[in-house]
Amino acid sequence: MLKNRIIPVLTFNGMSLVKTKKFKNPRTIGNPVQTARVYNSRQVDELVFIDIFASSQNRKINLSLVSDVIRECFMPVSVGGGIKTIDDINDLLKIGADKVIIKSQALLDPNFIKQAIMFYGSQCICIAVDAYFTNDTYKIHNSLGLDIDLEEFIIQMDSLNVGEFLVTNIENDGVMQGFDLNLIQRISKMTSIPIVASGGGGNLNHYSTLFLKTDVNAVASSSIFHFTQHTPLDIKNELNKFNFPVRA
Amino acid sequence: MNKKVVIIDYGMGNIASVQKALDFLNIDNKITNSHNDILDSSAIVLPGVGSFNQGIKNLKDRNLDLLLTDEVLNKKKPFIGICLGMQLIFEKGSEPIECEGLGWIEGEVKKISNENLRIPHLGWNDINVINKNYYQNIHDLNFYFIHSYQAVLKNKSEIDSIVNYGSDIVSSLQKENIFATQFHPEKSQISGLTLMKNFFQKNVKE
Repeated sequence: MLKNRIIPVLTFNGMSLVKTKKFKNPRTIGNPVQTARVYNSRQVDELVFIDIFASSQNRKINLSLVSDVIRECFMPVSVGGGIKTIDDINDLLKIGADKVIIKSQALLDPNFIKQAIMFYGSQCICIAVDAYFTNDTYKIHNSLGLDIDLEEFIIQMDSLNVGEFLVTNIENDGVMQGFDLNLIQRISKMTSIPIVASGGGGNLNHYSTLFLKTDVNAVASSSIFHFTQHTPLDIKNELNKFNFPVRA
Repeated sequence: MNKKVVIIDYGMGNIASVQKALDFLNIDNKITNSHNDILDSSAIVLPGVGSFNQGIKNLKDRNLDLLLTDEVLNKKKPFIGICLGMQLIFEKGSEPIECEGLGWIEGEVKKISNENLRIPHLGWNDINVINKNYYQNIHDLNFYFIHSYQAVLKNKSEIDSIVNYGSDIVSSLQKENIFATQFHPEKSQISGLTLMKNFFQKNVKE
């Protein structure tokens, strides 16, 4: 049976790991390579590694640091931050990334996503969906000044056959008060592409609630691992109580 | 000098992870597309992620299709194909358009079609092993999958293991010197590393 995935997220600023709240106020929390080593030894299902400032600061991701992180990992790693060209994707795949996570360039140029899929296949293209709720509707958060409706964006990406959606409500980011179940449920109805829920996990109950109330089979988290004593295994043990399949 | 295991570099990503796994297992290896390296190798690994059509095109552009076929089919060199590297050895693919593969295994590669399932088949899944040969000493038979296409074999006796995702899907195959996995052993932690170790221990003399 396909297992539910618990995916630690490492967000960094090009050098150090940082954690934001509501996508703001980055707080430095440590060294990416050491942290990746710990997660590898804990045999986590997968790792997400994102340079959250690469696009807005208009720079490339630090490939040598990404390479050092991936070298620690004998599990899948998804990498995002500042990806604009086919060569950017190739650079990451070449050093061992399994998936690339793209946001800004998907908003600016959907044709780029189409091209990326032609080259590398659907399975390695993950789209970050950072949403916020306003005037009774969800929009896509971005630093490009674009006004993009959530549903239009998901349907467009779905039609291009992307491999996965990494979904976050930015208001829930780093707040540790639970996931935006409404957002996840909505997107789940719009697409049959796998969804990774993210943003808001703070206690074990948040995770069982997420899996009970939505049909996602993957969750990505950061704060709960940085700021509480809980590990990915604790979340799995919790899910096990509800008979959700997880890797031991 | 001992012969090396070669990891075929044909511009289809993911090669660094395979090398990392072989390095971890202390298996002498080289990432290459040089014909001399391949002729001189002890075993061949064909990794890869991406689309079938692009994969075949890249092999042909580097004149690797005929060379690999000769090494594997005629000279019977040990071969392991991973993910796209498994799919490319079939007669026919369909990603994104119908096209010919290397044709070492009879059958074709088709899109997984099931309206009730999320595609790609993505994540860790349990396999049912039919042929235990390379699966000794693996305690947890779950591996990392990420694929939207599945291999359909003509000769069912070549099926090595099965994974269930809506229906039964071939997760690995074996035919003489050829072994191939739909999942990523190099990304499947201890289970995957043990599988690779078993393959090279049985096939490559120190």
